[in-house]
Amino acid sequence: MPMNAKFATVLLGAAALALVVARVTRADDQQPDAETKARIDKYEQGPATIDVSKYPQGIQDNYEVFSQKCAQCHKLSRPINCDYVLPDEWSRYVKRMMHKPGSGIDSAAGKKIYEFLVYDSSVRKKAMLDEKLAKATAQDKTDAEAKIKEVHDKYDNK
Amino acid sequence: MSDELKSSNSQPPDAEPKASRSPAPVWIIVLTLVLLFFGAVYFDHHSGWFDKQVYSPYASTEELASYQPKSGQASLLSRGRAVYETVCGICHGNDGLGKPAQAPPLAGAEWVVKDVASLARIPLAGLNGPIQVAGKDWNLSMAPMGAGLSDADLAAVLTYIRESWGNKSGAVSVDEVKAVRAAISGSSPSAADLAKMTPVERGHAVFQKYGCFQCHGQDAKGGVSNANAKTAEQVPGLLYVADGYTKDELKVFIRRGERNIPKLNPAGPEPPHFMPQWGPIIKDSELDDLATYLFSLKPKGENPGF
Repeated sequence: MPMNAKFATVLLGAAALALVVARVTRADDQQPDAETKARIDKYEQGPATIDVSKYPQGIQDNYEVFSQKCAQCHKLSRPINCDYVLPDEWSRYVKRMMHKPGSGIDSAAGKKIYEFLVYDSSVRKKAMLDEKLAKATAQDKTDAEAKIKEVHDKYDNK
Repeated sequence: MSDELKSSNSQPPDAEPKASRSPAPVWIIVLTLVLLFFGAVYFDHHSGWFDKQVYSPYASTEELASYQPKSGQASLLSRGRAVYETVCGICHGNDGLGKPAQAPPLAGAEWVVKDVASLARIPLAGLNGPIQVAGKDWNLSMAPMGAGLSDADLAAVLTYIRESWGNKSGAVSVDEVKAVRAAISGSSPSAADLAKMTPVERGHAVFQKYGCFQCHGQDAKGGVSNANAKTAEQVPGLLYVADGYTKDELKVFIRRGERNIPKLNPAGPEPPHFMPQWGPIIKDSELDDLATYLFSLKPKGENPGF
């Protein structure tokens, strides 16, 4: 009988746990993109400005374009704190936004925003960038480094 | 004198009662444990791990009946309800009442109770432009959300719509749906045709089949009006998706759709068009071809950079 009692208690505990787990998984099922929303919310709670005083003048100018254009539709804290760092990630997202009707971002402005984000990611988010580059394939890593270098060559010491 | 002594030695009669810490009586703890133990043992012997086959009395004859194998219209209705709540209910509401400025009601709508052929056309071919539903004007565009459903599922969902929320206009047969589908798809490619096509051509057929052009414009060039949408009150064109998405990102987006379209004027009305959730409707192979087609749209010879 005491063995049975032990088992019964464990069973009760397990049943309670299972109920909690079932509830949590169910809540997840109903909101397929709740994870994305939570991620964006987290980014948006971070700082909304970047201290660009140590960046080259050209990049500081591009920061102005970035601040003005991107804040038309979403908080600046979203791109500032998000986990995009690779040139291809930025190129894709800037183009995605740029091609929305009424974005007011032409390809010249889009390029400035892209260059700013690539430069900024290589300085302010260096740790995250290095981590992503370490995980990338050799080809992707070489391509990404070339694109970052291209931006730095264009703006550094000028 | 004796009064003075009394008042200084005993508490004043109106003093606040005080709670003090005292341990719960042992017998309550013992009783709780005994009851818990009894309950757990009872649970052990009688729960059967919640398996219905072990022990599960039915609460009523109706409940028992609901577990019986279904035949005829009852099974059609329950199947139709499942399809409705996955595909149609997102806009028309599980209560069939529609959503203001987004989707007209189906409860009491003359389009639903009218002849089967014109009702079946709507999910199969979509519906565009001004119509009147239950005395109100609507000017929207619905993609052919039912084009991907089987004839049997479509017949079931149409039956469900015609027999729910106070509608009583009778069942729709698979043959009726088949006939309407055949009438509509006279110009659409057959399975044999599809097998001969390139992925881009097949993707274009998918684009036509699901009526993507109704919102994204012919040849996906955009320009269709979407009042109060932040995107210049237009549904975006798709010519440059190859620049903005990887194929996988694009497929995820099409599967999920986008219910929340940012408003141009935050105080203004909800924009009428949004991206439906195609995941439950489109087939994987169709989605692959569609992505290939959309990626092929980028104008050739344009500067690949910014």
